[in-house]
Amino acid sequence: MFGKVLIANRGEIALRVARACRELGVDTVAVYSTVDRDSAVVRYADEAVHIGPGPSKRSYLNMPALIASALRTGADAIHPGYGFLSENPYFAEVCAANGITFIGPPADVIARLGDKVAARTLMAQAGVPMLPGSLRPLATVSEAKAVVDEIGFPVIIKAAAGGGGRGMSVVHGEAEFARAYRETKAAAQALFGDGRVYVERYLEKARHVEIQILADTHGNVIQLGERDCSAQRRHQKLVEETPAPGLPDRVRDAMGKAAVRGARSVGYVGAGTFEFLVDETGAFYFMEVNCRIQVEHPVTEMVTGVDLVQEQIRIAAGERLRYRQQDVALRGAAVECRINVEDPNRGFAPSPGVLEEFVPAAGPFVRVDTHGYQGYKVPADYDSLLAKVVVWAPDRAQALDRMARALEEFRISGRGVRTTSAFLGELIANPVFRRGEHTTSIVDDVIAARSTWTPVVLKAA
Amino acid sequence: MTTNDAIWLSGMDKSAGQNDSADVLKQLTDSALGLLAGLDRAPKSLRIKADQVEIEVAWPEVEVVAAAPAPVAAAVATAEAARSADTGTGQFFVAHTVGVFYRSHEPGAKPFVDAGDVVMPGQQIGIIEAMKLMIPVEADAPARIVEVLVADGGAVEYGDKLYAIEPVDS
Repeated sequence: MFGKVLIANRGEIALRVARACRELGVDTVAVYSTVDRDSAVVRYADEAVHIGPGPSKRSYLNMPALIASALRTGADAIHPGYGFLSENPYFAEVCAANGITFIGPPADVIARLGDKVAARTLMAQAGVPMLPGSLRPLATVSEAKAVVDEIGFPVIIKAAAGGGGRGMSVVHGEAEFARAYRETKAAAQALFGDGRVYVERYLEKARHVEIQILADTHGNVIQLGERDCSAQRRHQKLVEETPAPGLPDRVRDAMGKAAVRGARSVGYVGAGTFEFLVDETGAFYFMEVNCRIQVEHPVTEMVTGVDLVQEQIRIAAGERLRYRQQDVALRGAAVECRINVEDPNRGFAPSPGVLEEFVPAAGPFVRVDTHGYQGYKVPADYDSLLAKVVVWAPDRAQALDRMARALEEFRISGRGVRTTSAFLGELIANPVFRRGEHTTSIVDDVIAARSTWTPVVLKAA
Repeated sequence: MTTNDAIWLSGMDKSAGQNDSADVLKQLTDSALGLLAGLDRAPKSLRIKADQVEIEVAWPEVEVVAAAPAPVAAAVATAEAARSADTGTGQFFVAHTVGVFYRSHEPGAKPFVDAGDVVMPGQQIGIIEAMKLMIPVEADAPARIVEVLVADGGAVEYGDKLYAIEPVDS
């Protein structure tokens, strides 16, 4: 096991990783930007290093600063959390070159799976079901059109280097196609420095279901069930749960087996997620692999009793998986709600500020992962996730009741601070959601149905 | 990577809301000075927040009289001096990245600068090594080096003070 781990991240996940390390008896090094100097993980970790100013490019994405920090503190490993450098193959390589273990898959695996087009090809070869579409990047509009003529509208145009719900657009008809193709290409170039795009069939009525896997360096791969993340707004997940409501056991099994097969075929190591779309007939299609711990990992932890972050660290330290597939039992239901500092009444605009009141939910079977505390100033420099409320219950109905109770209890206020908490309460009370019959359009439907909804009026400065 | 690897610390703390209006800043300063004027003992630190604007000050006792009527820039620059406690004027060249600080091109060579030297903008005043990259540290304002604060080969973090300086006419 490592002696000391540097956590190259911030916010709730940095604290989550630090807690896993402490339980394993591993020392922790936090890194922080100037605006994060009073953050929870800086207070919690054994050591903290100031790595740069607020903008991520000069702090949390600053590889020389991170490596220098690890070397000077004597850390043997770096945990990248999610986002930032977590799926950057070059960073994984640089860690290795400096004798530091990167807690994640090998650099070449991240590189191959991070390229969505390459990942599609690899998974198709491994026999993982695929939506019809292009298996290589499309160079011209006419080349793209030729693929669309074959598969039919609607289609989704995606950036090969995309991720995190960015760099994709849905096209319903021929008239919009050429423009959407050019815009997505330009957006991909701007966001990821890589303008390659591909096209696949778009499913209007689909569920987003993903499989959690763990793979060690000794060739053992297991899957830990699924998470349903269909409640999304603009491809950003708001509510995640397990088990996926109404998912037939045979589909669950087939998806789990496909994920394990896919992981084996590319030599995957660490914790990873295979994302699929599931249509109303129960057919499932590969979307992408996330080579990192995910925001929504706690729901899997709640029903399996497996600490995924600890397992990630053990795997990186070369240990064998402590669970065989038959040891993984899924018990009850778990739901996670993401509380963001965003104003649902103003188009989910970010609304950071000082948390004058911050009283997390508590009580039986409630877990809150957050870096918030009373008096904490939420910086405007980073993403808006403030807290994850996770509950467990013997079944989904009781879990949703428990979540409603927890959301009501959670008190967050401050000048200018708004959160998605009340909106999430409405979402999980929605009859369609409650019955588990929702698809990825549920959030838009709830927004459209809100009587309090007022459009954003932007005044000229 | 920018070529400016040292910044000139004067005026308000760079991390405070630098985009906020001068009005709010002035109000805050006035309240700070007003608050100080009402105290019979110099505070060790003072932290004022209003919305996005935030000022942190740590007055050294001897400086209070001089600082009280001074404009914002002088007041907060003095606060910087208080944090390091053993330097005079309160202006510094600070590290712009994490790494190992070197005062000369190679071990045993003459340092880039020493106490008493006057440096010009763009002049190299050190090296910070991060991940085997040797990043030159340059002055970005004319100044006299008052004190060298980090030994050759010392570990630095972002924002650590490298040299205490005093302004000179350019």
